[in-house]
Amino acid sequence: MNSSEKTPFWRNVAVLRWAFQLAIVAVVGVIIAILVNNLLVNSSSQGIPLGFGFLSQPASFPITANDFRDTQPVWQAMYEGVLNTLRVVLVGFVLATVFGVLIGLGRLSGNWLIRTISTVYIEIVRNVPLLLIVIFAYLGLVLEVFPRIEDSWDLAGTIIVNGRGFSIPWITGPFVGLLAAVVLSIAAGLAVRRWRLRVAESKDESAYVVPWMAAAMVAVLFWVGFFAGLGFSSPSIDGRNVVGGMTMQPEYFALLFALVTYTASHIAEIVRGSVQSVAKGQVEASQAMALNGWQRMRYVIFPQALRVAIPPLGNQYLNLMKNSSLGFAVSYFELTKVVTTSVGTRSPAVPAFLVLMIIYLIMSLTISALVNIANRKMEVVGR
Amino acid sequence: MGRSPKLLALGAAFALALSACASGGSSAADSDSGSDEENNNSESTSTSGGSVLADVIANDVVTCGTRDALPGFAVLQADGTHEGFDNDFCRAIAAAVLGDAEKVEFKDLETDDRFTALQSGEVDVLVRNTTWTASRDGSEGATFLAPNFYDGQGMMVAVESNFNSLEDMDGTTVCVASGTTTEGNVSSEFERLGLTVDVLSFENTDLIQEAFQAGRCDGWSSDVSQLAGLRTSFLNGEDSLKILPGVFSKEPLAPAVRDGDSEWAQVVNWAVFATIQAEEFGIDSSNVDGMLESDNPLIQTFLGVEVDGTALDPGLGLPVDANYQVVKQVGNYGEIYEQHIKPLGLERGQNSQWQDGGLLYAPPYR
Repeated sequence: MNSSEKTPFWRNVAVLRWAFQLAIVAVVGVIIAILVNNLLVNSSSQGIPLGFGFLSQPASFPITANDFRDTQPVWQAMYEGVLNTLRVVLVGFVLATVFGVLIGLGRLSGNWLIRTISTVYIEIVRNVPLLLIVIFAYLGLVLEVFPRIEDSWDLAGTIIVNGRGFSIPWITGPFVGLLAAVVLSIAAGLAVRRWRLRVAESKDESAYVVPWMAAAMVAVLFWVGFFAGLGFSSPSIDGRNVVGGMTMQPEYFALLFALVTYTASHIAEIVRGSVQSVAKGQVEASQAMALNGWQRMRYVIFPQALRVAIPPLGNQYLNLMKNSSLGFAVSYFELTKVVTTSVGTRSPAVPAFLVLMIIYLIMSLTISALVNIANRKMEVVGR
Repeated sequence: MGRSPKLLALGAAFALALSACASGGSSAADSDSGSDEENNNSESTSTSGGSVLADVIANDVVTCGTRDALPGFAVLQADGTHEGFDNDFCRAIAAAVLGDAEKVEFKDLETDDRFTALQSGEVDVLVRNTTWTASRDGSEGATFLAPNFYDGQGMMVAVESNFNSLEDMDGTTVCVASGTTTEGNVSSEFERLGLTVDVLSFENTDLIQEAFQAGRCDGWSSDVSQLAGLRTSFLNGEDSLKILPGVFSKEPLAPAVRDGDSEWAQVVNWAVFATIQAEEFGIDSSNVDGMLESDNPLIQTFLGVEVDGTALDPGLGLPVDANYQVVKQVGNYGEIYEQHIKPLGLERGQNSQWQDGGLLYAPPYR
């Protein structure tokens, strides 16, 4: 064959590759177009509206433990739903992480009892469908165990538990004041830490960072809080209701409990795996340097384990956020319940679920982005 | 348990997209084939391109969306049969269209996906304690028909509680079923009375019952007929639970069919009217055969008997003896009520014939 002769395009690998990929894109595009078209044609033929006008229609349903009125529009109900989702998700992140780390370390513990309890916990919880845990937490734990409001458990007026919820003392006053107090307190804590570390370095004496920080933070918190008009209120029972303090609805409590228990078991496994991934030599070296157990964890193992743990941890946070949609199984008014209730009342199903998916997508992508940022910060800098 | 209906609803939405081509095509094909097969028949009777009636006749079964566990209205018995007020109206439709009251397939639908099931064609007709409202008529792709039960929302509380009216219930928590008109009614009514209330809504009645028994809520609000039925499922229900006097909403419970199929809508309407008209005429399942010999031409016309050599075919697409079959096989409205609703402790009230001051009023059959 003459080498100067041009390969015909139907045998040209470069052209074929392109053509093949274009063909796939075209097929997928056509399929999607057919589906969308069918949806539109069928919906209009059956009189199902597909627009988004329903978002500004009255919701026609109230939201539990919320000032939302049933005459407010659907989009405001969705907004309350997002807030309720965030309420359970953000608290869930913190609690699941704390419990997960504790249980994960417990599984590595030298103590037989702690190790066994942790292992049994992980193996049981991780292998049960989350929906069952949610329903069990509600029916078996909250509804069965929490007493009726007439015979509430009352811990000296601080914590009140009954069928209406789990009530704790809480801060009252403007939210801005609380935010300012917390931010200033953290700032003060960090400033004091820097100062103590500098003092310790220059004078070669103990830094006592933690007590100093704690003292500074508490002082600033109370000082700012006082001027911002913050106060405390304890819960008390008034008729058929608990007033004052902060009351976690039984539904919220059950969902949070289930999400935390379940996610913590997964996080525990991630923690165990990432701690075990730290090279054995590192542990031996730190032992040789006479670091005690805490120091070994804090300065040698954890920083390296964290690097391994962050990507799978991010996945668990994503799962927790998405799993919060199970709240509707126990009547907790998170986003999914708002949307499904709204569909049952009057909103058209297809556009409403589309909006629901988009909101979850936005929340997921936000979490992913944050995890990616954290991941980049923790990455080993290439040398 | 609670999750599946949601997934179903979502799935149905996608199924709508996927099956759209098929069902869009097949409905046209069905009506074509229908007119091919029974050319002489459909040419004369069918005026609109009503596909559900043709489908029902072709499949020889009416698919009816009801429930499985609503005492009085629709209960799935241990032996697999369905007993209840709603079930009997499904049977009346089957008796009218197919001449056999047992040619019904009952589908248990959750509150939140009943309309999706109707829209997607999973059921032909919804006889499922569904309140007729303007929004549902307009936005759910459903057409509501003549109500078969006039209900109103009430409140059930424990006898031992001190609540004797809604005014006593300020600051309480009330459990309701989600995705119903009930939720909005409770909050509007309390607001009208200047009271506060926390409304807790659940997917299914079992959960409400659990929550109510555990003291999570002080009251349970729903249509009075439902409350009366639910009360029977509690231990010592009549003694431990009371329904507060007075209703605070209009709840006309009506069958619904898909939008845009007036032929099928007429058929369902007249099957319901048959039971009402029969009671007005004093015809019931035991005397219907004797009534065929009645000397009242109106009754004979109603039962499809030839008067002066002709039997009336109103052109509804129903067999001439449709009313006879309904009364013979299912009974008249009063019989259905006596059998299913009376045992719940509910009097006829609004659901009496118009001559007795009730709201039941069938248009004349002529």
